[in-house]
Amino acid sequence: MDMSQYLGVFVEEAKENIQGLNESVLELESNPESGDAINEIFRLMHTLKGSSATMGFMKMSKMCHALESLLDSARSGKAKVTENMIDIIFLGIDKLTEVVSDIENGEDDSKLDLDDVERAMSNQGKGAEKASKKIGEVEKSDTQTEFGDDIVEEAVKDVAKKAIEDGLSVYMVRVELAKDSVMKSARMYIVFHRIEENDGQIVYSEPPTEEIEKENFETTVELVVITSMKMEKLQDLISNISEIDKVIIKPFETKENEVKAEKKPETHEKEKENQIKKDNKKRRVKLTQSVRVDVEKLDVLMNLMAELVISRSRIEETLKKYKIKEVDESLSQLGRITLDLQSIVMKIRMIPISFVFDRFPRMVRDLSKKLNKKIDFIVQGEDTELDRTVADEIGEPLVHMIRNSIDHGIETEKERIGAGKAPTGKVILSARQEGDSVVIEVNDDGRGFDKEKIIKKALESGIIQEYEASAMSNEEIFSLTFEPGFSTSKKPTEVSGRGVGMDVVKKTIESLNGNVYLESVAGKGTKVIIRLPLTLSIIQALLVEVGSLVYAVPISAVDSTLAIKENNIKDVEGQKTVLLRGEIVPVIDLRLHFDAGAISEKMDLVVTRYKDRKYGFIVDKLLGQQDIVIKALGKLFKDVKEFSGGAILGNGSIALIIDVPSLVQKALSR
Amino acid sequence: MAKRILIVDDAAFMRMLLKDIVTKAGYEVVGEAANGNEAIERYKELKPDVVTMDITMPEMSGIEATKEIMRSDPKANIIMCSAMGQQMMVVEAIQAGAKDFIVKPFQQGRVVEALSKVSK
Repeated sequence: MDMSQYLGVFVEEAKENIQGLNESVLELESNPESGDAINEIFRLMHTLKGSSATMGFMKMSKMCHALESLLDSARSGKAKVTENMIDIIFLGIDKLTEVVSDIENGEDDSKLDLDDVERAMSNQGKGAEKASKKIGEVEKSDTQTEFGDDIVEEAVKDVAKKAIEDGLSVYMVRVELAKDSVMKSARMYIVFHRIEENDGQIVYSEPPTEEIEKENFETTVELVVITSMKMEKLQDLISNISEIDKVIIKPFETKENEVKAEKKPETHEKEKENQIKKDNKKRRVKLTQSVRVDVEKLDVLMNLMAELVISRSRIEETLKKYKIKEVDESLSQLGRITLDLQSIVMKIRMIPISFVFDRFPRMVRDLSKKLNKKIDFIVQGEDTELDRTVADEIGEPLVHMIRNSIDHGIETEKERIGAGKAPTGKVILSARQEGDSVVIEVNDDGRGFDKEKIIKKALESGIIQEYEASAMSNEEIFSLTFEPGFSTSKKPTEVSGRGVGMDVVKKTIESLNGNVYLESVAGKGTKVIIRLPLTLSIIQALLVEVGSLVYAVPISAVDSTLAIKENNIKDVEGQKTVLLRGEIVPVIDLRLHFDAGAISEKMDLVVTRYKDRKYGFIVDKLLGQQDIVIKALGKLFKDVKEFSGGAILGNGSIALIIDVPSLVQKALSR
Repeated sequence: MAKRILIVDDAAFMRMLLKDIVTKAGYEVVGEAANGNEAIERYKELKPDVVTMDITMPEMSGIEATKEIMRSDPKANIIMCSAMGQQMMVVEAIQAGAKDFIVKPFQQGRVVEALSKVSK
């Protein structure tokens, strides 16, 4: 069978399973007595084992099996979960993670190295092995003591005779299983069960039942059955079990003397496995059906949606000219429908941020072990949803920030006690939605940033000049930490490296139309705040006219708009400003900034907000608010920072989308 | 009329695989479920001719679900989907009323054989 068509689903699900394993093993580590966690690990390993074997990744399957058996003694309560055990399982999970990514990249599982795990297991697994052997021994002693042959023989004959006297039939039944049949004993159990269910009694079996249970037989089993059934019915009954090749039935002859019979022992009662019991068994499950869709298809859908929005605007615009009453209603209906459609498409693309967050507890655990720092890692708001593309991009920056917090932020236990703090450091990762954006915070109670040190360091690395330093606000000082080449750590460490990183973090976040800033109190801790747009491709924008061109300002950046006159604008130390409700707001005349030519008397002011401060943009005219679809400007303009993209307007013309932070920075630095 | 099958497995991958095998063999897959609770709900709703039931699933295992389904419909035809080494669980499921079992990794022929025999 061609399995390649299942590869995608396999990989995706394998990843989910591995993530689940990571979580459960963490849970087990913090609570070694947790039967639930062990059962969950078993279940996930099991699923993974089955899936990978089905896909033909036998090494991977073998690895799962090895890890499963490692935990077996713990599950049966024969052994305690040790730290060593947890380490081995994590090692195994890491190997599985690697192999899945190999498979995703078109390779197979041949690179998977079982040696490390096996070696680690053989060192520690001895205890577990002993435990499992003990189970075997118990089983053995549990089996029935055999009767002497002669007595049994007599007994069977007696029983058979009596049965025939009572009007019942006695048959010799020979059952042959398919040669490649697996789990033969369970298969035979069905045969036994089926016969007994239908008023049949098995008085003899060769090999004896306990041997069957241990799978100590090839493919053939012979039985003596007492029943009221007709021969054909019995034949039918057994043949209708799968993987049974042949059933031969003949009447039992009482003279038959090779018979070594015994009563069928009531062994199956004891076989009740400690099955997986969930205490939340009663919980109602949501019966939602879901479909897995390739992300690329969603991207195409989003693009088409965008084109639809553009087309609608164009039709709207065209029809407005003719003022046809009849189309008004259908046009507004079309508007509503596209809006609904748009929000649905957007929602489809949204995934809970747990998609990103889930990997962190494991990472923090490894880090805290490596650095020998005790960390209390708290995750909040993992249900917060955001665009899949944003989620994909934000993982790396967060990894970096959390590493920083733990490596540089949190002090060693000794230092913490010395500083009168709790010995266990705390790192909180949280997410929440605020309007059209998602806010992610990484908060630690570590040593924080020393403002003096930041300035000193920034001066040393030439990021700022002496005269700038004295005038800097707190916010500006902290923002220095995002400058390329900045690091307050004296020694580079294996974990966080040196200085590179925070600037990359900032770049990534800004490329997602988000922003990042940092707050810190020396000795108390650091908080890094990231603000990201909910979605990337469609935004609400304020369209403005400057000269003959239309520009778009993202609504999320707009504070207010107002009409102003030339004489409202005051010159303060060479900077144009307006007084707005008692606040001095620097203004940037976009007409000058964009060299828009003739400057008219009439003008409007768009007040934007950037880093909690207001900046005014002077434009010729406000055109209105509209949904626009962001299109990238393309590689040719990759150095253009002031515009985050372009949008096609209803009339087919193009509006450049102003990137407020970049424009403010550029204009004010002039 | 094609026999109606309900596929129960927590792995979407397994469901997909089984669905393809079953459909190719001329059966109709009328529903899928990802855990025991869902299986019970779907069974009541769809009344399928045959259920393929995975054993280890979250929320409620296939064995519990089998017990529950057999309670509500003693004529239910349930085939357990077992992995190697789950002998004991298969036995328990058979005691609970499951008719047959198939073993992962699935072989097309085996699956079809079990289905045709059980649904006879």
